[in-house]
Amino acid sequence: MLIGTIIYAVINSFILILLAIGFNLAFGISGVANFAYGALYVLSAYVSWILLTLLKMPYFLSVTISILLTTLLGGLIYRLVLLRVRGQALSEVIATFGIGLSILELFSYFGMVGFEYTLPVFIDRSFIIAGTYVDAQRLLIAGIGLVLVLGLWLFTHHTSIGLAFRGIAQDERTALTFGIDSDRIATLSISLGAGLAAIAATLIIPLGSIAPAEGYDVLIKALAVCIIGGLGSSGGVIVAGFVIGFAERFTDTYIGSHWTMIISLVAILLVLVIKPSGLFGKQKELEERI
Amino acid sequence: MNMHARVLGIFFSAVLVFSVLSSVGHAQEPIVIGIPTSLGFLEGRESLSAVELAVDEINAAGGVRVGASKRPFKVESIDLRDAAPGVPVPEALLGLEKIILEKKPTALVVGPFRSEALMAGMDIIAKYKVPLLGTIAMSPGSEKKIKEDPAKYKYVFRTCLNAVHIVKFLAGTMAQINKEFGFNKVYIMHQDVAWARATAEFVKTLYFDKAGWTIVGLESYPTGTSDFSSALMKIRSQGAQVIMPVFDMPQSGTLVKQWNAMKVPAILSGFISPLAGAAAWKTFDGKIGGSTNMIFELGSGIGSGKYPASMTFYDNYRKKYGNEIQAGHGPAPSYESVYILKEAIERAGSLDPDAIVAEMEKTDRIGVMGRVKFDAGHQAIFGFDPRETAVSTVFQWSDSGRRVIVFPDTIAEGKFQLPAGLKSLK
Repeated sequence: MLIGTIIYAVINSFILILLAIGFNLAFGISGVANFAYGALYVLSAYVSWILLTLLKMPYFLSVTISILLTTLLGGLIYRLVLLRVRGQALSEVIATFGIGLSILELFSYFGMVGFEYTLPVFIDRSFIIAGTYVDAQRLLIAGIGLVLVLGLWLFTHHTSIGLAFRGIAQDERTALTFGIDSDRIATLSISLGAGLAAIAATLIIPLGSIAPAEGYDVLIKALAVCIIGGLGSSGGVIVAGFVIGFAERFTDTYIGSHWTMIISLVAILLVLVIKPSGLFGKQKELEERI
Repeated sequence: MNMHARVLGIFFSAVLVFSVLSSVGHAQEPIVIGIPTSLGFLEGRESLSAVELAVDEINAAGGVRVGASKRPFKVESIDLRDAAPGVPVPEALLGLEKIILEKKPTALVVGPFRSEALMAGMDIIAKYKVPLLGTIAMSPGSEKKIKEDPAKYKYVFRTCLNAVHIVKFLAGTMAQINKEFGFNKVYIMHQDVAWARATAEFVKTLYFDKAGWTIVGLESYPTGTSDFSSALMKIRSQGAQVIMPVFDMPQSGTLVKQWNAMKVPAILSGFISPLAGAAAWKTFDGKIGGSTNMIFELGSGIGSGKYPASMTFYDNYRKKYGNEIQAGHGPAPSYESVYILKEAIERAGSLDPDAIVAEMEKTDRIGVMGRVKFDAGHQAIFGFDPRETAVSTVFQWSDSGRRVIVFPDTIAEGKFQLPAGLKSLK
């Protein structure tokens, strides 16, 4: 049981990390709030489903189009909405949350709720690891999650655009004096964040089903991981993902499943009390971000 | 004189014409049926569709006789969202009050999805004196309130089954499994909502404990849970032969996927909402052979060839909407409720709520889910023979994708089969 719990805890951790890295990129690194993140996650899944199931397109083409469309939509959200309220944190939150709410409620309105709304797994197989059955999809999540996190770290530390992202987050005015176009960078960060949400959906949705309510869950989990890890810190996202992932699985196994859902919220509370900027966060005035 | 007579004649003609026009207008004024429920969920959505099917049939046949005139039904719906995770009950009840005040329905059908919302909503229904024929929320708590204060809560009826009846059927299923295969170790998993909690507890105390089964685990899961790996590992490690799930949330389909992926050697037998309808075979890539699932009301999700009325309803729904009923709970009693309401109005001869309620209490009709009568708590009486009571059913997925009704015997089309990979202990 212990080994099995550890294996599923590691997988759960990578699921949380995958859910959070896109949000961390946009909010944490570039300081741009995108509370439509959860809705974009769900939207990309529905787009894939429509292309795959209704239009009978090949799988890889469907998910590729879905990821690209979601990425584009992220950019449009910034250009058409966020640009007008840039710098006003509360307005950014309200505007993007409103967009997210509209997207999710639209799917509910059209009755797109039910277990038939799901995506296929990449490989339909199970493996035995240390006496525990684990399906291939979950192993893929762990593998791709690790690659994406490393890739994001390299991107933000060793590419000019990535360094620009971090520059904007540190001090926008100073970044402007270096010739960094803050609006262009913000557009890119929101777009890439949305794209990462779409990749996460492609990997995680096949474990269950697509549901509008999932959008709210994803937003809360992403926020929890980013706040606990520290906004702007990729390392923090990994550590926080593991902290919450392990806490959830071990709580489920050894205490009771009905306590699992509050773990994320209790973890946020504890971290905010002990270290308000998060485990690896450097920002001192966290409340200005929220 | 002539002038006087002319004026009087015109006056009385006008009065006569006005009276005729008024009565014609009254005859066409529809009787509003309000449908407040969680329309974003399968059971809510298909229950609304079943109501609309019944309304179309009744209107096509001329409508509802109210006194000397016939009037059509009209459906007004509102999404309470009470089944969505995190939606507080007071917020859901705002929707209930809104539809009553704005649409002025003669009666409500379907009603709140969650028992928590129904229990709290009973005071609103009592306040506005609008009869409700509930077809989804299942906690017996509502009947207790009705019996304790019938004058206040008499407007609330339940056409679907309640958790007590679910317990009887699940216990009956487990007894069959024990009888056929000798299985006696079970893991109970249920959703953390009122009806599922009560169901799991009662099956445990009224059947498993008394029959000497070993309960290797009893876990509750909040609505929205999407990882059941811990429980499935416990089931495997402790050798449970049967998993009894009690879930109505869409995410419970994840349990089926994980059960399959982790190759847990135990039979799934309970109620999982996504497993109920015919489309589940395709949804789960045909990997659900051997699992059994309860259908809460015959006609919802499955009909029986041994009870033609259920098949007629099931087929008519498919003809109207182009797809089969997928929800195993809600559609059949919702359809039935419209006819119950129609007959009560016709017997009462008016739309007075107290008169309608008095007639609904006398309901005794043969419908799509069996014979429908209400007990003192305004609960439709469920049993095992559709000629005597309303019935539920349990079916088993065959390895070829067919759903075979295996319980109760009065409508069974086959016997329980041992799923591949499991060995009988007999």
